[in-house]
Amino acid sequence: MTDPIVSLKGINIRYGTHHAVRDVSLDIAKGEVVAMVGPSGAGKSTLLRAINMLETPASGTLHVGDFTFALDRPLGQKDLLALRRSTGMVFQQFNLFPHMTVQRNISLPQMRVLGRSREEADRVTARLLERVHLADKAQAYPARLSGGQQQRIAIARALALDPQVMLFDEPTSALDPELGLEVLSVMRELAADGMTMIVVTHEIAFAAEVADRVIVMADGQIIEEGPPEQVIRNPSLPRTQKFFRAILERH
Amino acid sequence: MLDTFLALLHGVPVSLAVTGLAFALGAVLGVPLVLMRRAGHWLPRLLARIYIEIARGIPPVVWLFIIFFGLGSGIVTLTPFQAASLGMGLISAAYLAEIYRGGFLTLPAGQDAAAVALGMTRLDRLRFVLAPQVLRVSIPPMATFLVSLLKDTTVASTIGVRDVMMLVTQQAQAAGGGFAPFISAAVLYILLSIPVALLARKMDARLRARTSR
Repeated sequence: MTDPIVSLKGINIRYGTHHAVRDVSLDIAKGEVVAMVGPSGAGKSTLLRAINMLETPASGTLHVGDFTFALDRPLGQKDLLALRRSTGMVFQQFNLFPHMTVQRNISLPQMRVLGRSREEADRVTARLLERVHLADKAQAYPARLSGGQQQRIAIARALALDPQVMLFDEPTSALDPELGLEVLSVMRELAADGMTMIVVTHEIAFAAEVADRVIVMADGQIIEEGPPEQVIRNPSLPRTQKFFRAILERH
Repeated sequence: MLDTFLALLHGVPVSLAVTGLAFALGAVLGVPLVLMRRAGHWLPRLLARIYIEIARGIPPVVWLFIIFFGLGSGIVTLTPFQAASLGMGLISAAYLAEIYRGGFLTLPAGQDAAAVALGMTRLDRLRFVLAPQVLRVSIPPMATFLVSLLKDTTVASTIGVRDVMMLVTQQAQAAGGGFAPFISAAVLYILLSIPVALLARKMDARLRARTSR
């Protein structure tokens, strides 16, 4: 792989005595879509949240875009802000700001983080609302929107800062299946546009269709990875076979 | 009785001024206090904790005596009005900091995480994301506190502030007994607190209607 846009080396994350992520290394190419799957408690979300330092690894090296950080000493505030500006994150619970309109949710971070003028930010916001098919909701408050609409706004809010990589933390897990579909459809368009995406998900069908690579985690480690047809259809490990069989039986 | 009541009205501006100044001072000083209380480092947390416990643990009348006769006889000279406003303001800061802290506890954890992930600075997160939401849930308890502050400022008369309570005491002494002045004061304080309660309810309802969740 030439020049990965995201590169993790020897990442360890501990909560007290619990070793949540164990010596994980991972390279992701520009434009690649990676699905991270595995049983709950496997450390998928924890690893994802280390990429923008919402979780603080105890050791390892983190490279995102133009930045490379050694994690054995605390990062400075400036480095942290720069890292987070180059990543966008979408959460399971959407986390829109309830006291702001949809437009302000998307425009305010652009003004404060990138220093865009209000006019410029609102122009970008309008374009992104078109892209997530919610142009008519600019003046609505989040509480008036469905979960699927809120999540699409959250995607637009993250995209507005022109991230180099988008991190999705179980983006459809809090949604009814049909509302999840509209979110997945926006994510599919995003992948087709060439966005680098790392998606923690239980949506195996989505992973099979959209992901370039599927990563299976268990007990804080990557136990299997490869193209979806190989990992999902013909997993090599008994543990992975059992995991996918359990998921397929639920559908 | 009506004469007594009307005479007490002359004390209303002073009572309201002490209450208003103390509340404003407390609302402002409560902000750094709650931030210290929630700091990552233990030292500011401990200092804020000590301040809050001391401010709330000592009766207001004792505070006013300490500030007026203690501080006032030393370096700076304070009028009774200044001493009462300052003293009640310093006490209010402790109560309001605790109200703000309760507001922070009601915020979903994801709100700050989302703002962090967007790359917003600590100050921006507080100013644009956290504080407006904390303030919103703090309005009803702040209004309740304001009403009780209005009543608690009656201790200002003990250091010579010419508020409603001072006039009540004078009227009662002049009348040589009888409880008409006290009944008048009771009615007056109820009348003063009703608008505050109504206003708070209206503000709360308006904010809630817009962002209900």
